[in-house]
Amino acid sequence: MDDSAMMRAQIKRVVKLAGVPVDEILEASNGVEALAILETQDVQWLLTDINMPVMNGAELLREIARHDKWRALGKVIISTDGSTARREEAAALDVHRYLEKPFSPEVLRDVLTEAVGAGRA
Amino acid sequence: MYSPKLSELVAPEAIDVLRGAVIDVAERSFFTPADASADDGLPDLGSASDAWLVAAVRFKEAGCAGTVTCMLPHDLSRALFDAFNGRDPLDPPPSVGELSDLIGEFANMICGAWLTRTVDGPAFLLSAPVVRVSARDAALDASDGPRVMMSLNDRPLVVAVALA
Repeated sequence: MDDSAMMRAQIKRVVKLAGVPVDEILEASNGVEALAILETQDVQWLLTDINMPVMNGAELLREIARHDKWRALGKVIISTDGSTARREEAAALDVHRYLEKPFSPEVLRDVLTEAVGAGRA
Repeated sequence: MYSPKLSELVAPEAIDVLRGAVIDVAERSFFTPADASADDGLPDLGSASDAWLVAAVRFKEAGCAGTVTCMLPHDLSRALFDAFNGRDPLDPPPSVGELSDLIGEFANMICGAWLTRTVDGPAFLLSAPVVRVSARDAALDASDGPRVMMSLNDRPLVVAVALA
């Protein structure tokens, strides 16, 4: 989830090139679109930016935390906001990894490979 | 919780951090070498009629607010697009919307990286980038406030910080 289509496209490229085993990559440009997807699709991992219009990443994560049905959802933040406050907020919301922009594709690849490899209960 | 003073965001140290943020964004995510411009000025600015892109990102952090504006010639925008996307020269050129999206994200990363490093602590909010095309001189007049002059692949980039 990112409001930049270019960023979403790059992340998709990295996921595919990394050989991370995924069935399908779904896209959303804000939290409202992401919730609609989560309601209807069996999603295992959410990669989300923070600063977005309509519903930002932090608001989405708080909404997800309110529902048991999404307890097993793996969550990775990819954001320009690397502030202490955001990281602490992410930790409280059970975010698996926090990746700060700018990042090299190799770092994203390693984060995703480790995250998906670790699995979630 | 630490609250930055407005003056700290435009202090020389913060402007140095801005240069570092530009270099990091350009080289790490856009695979484009970047340098602070030498004292004798920017690389060739081209002609006054050349198209430039102006990308502005508004920020708000713990009571401070302002705008980071990136100003760059169209050919550098295209080069950044190609580098970021790994575009093959034989592929169709990007649409205006795609180019604006990419340069907006470029400005977004610079603003976010600068804020994170300048005042570590409070979270910040960034608006969606606003990108427009302008003639060179109008582009360079797009923002007041301190600015850094950079050279990306021998092409000029100007980044300015204006406080609300």
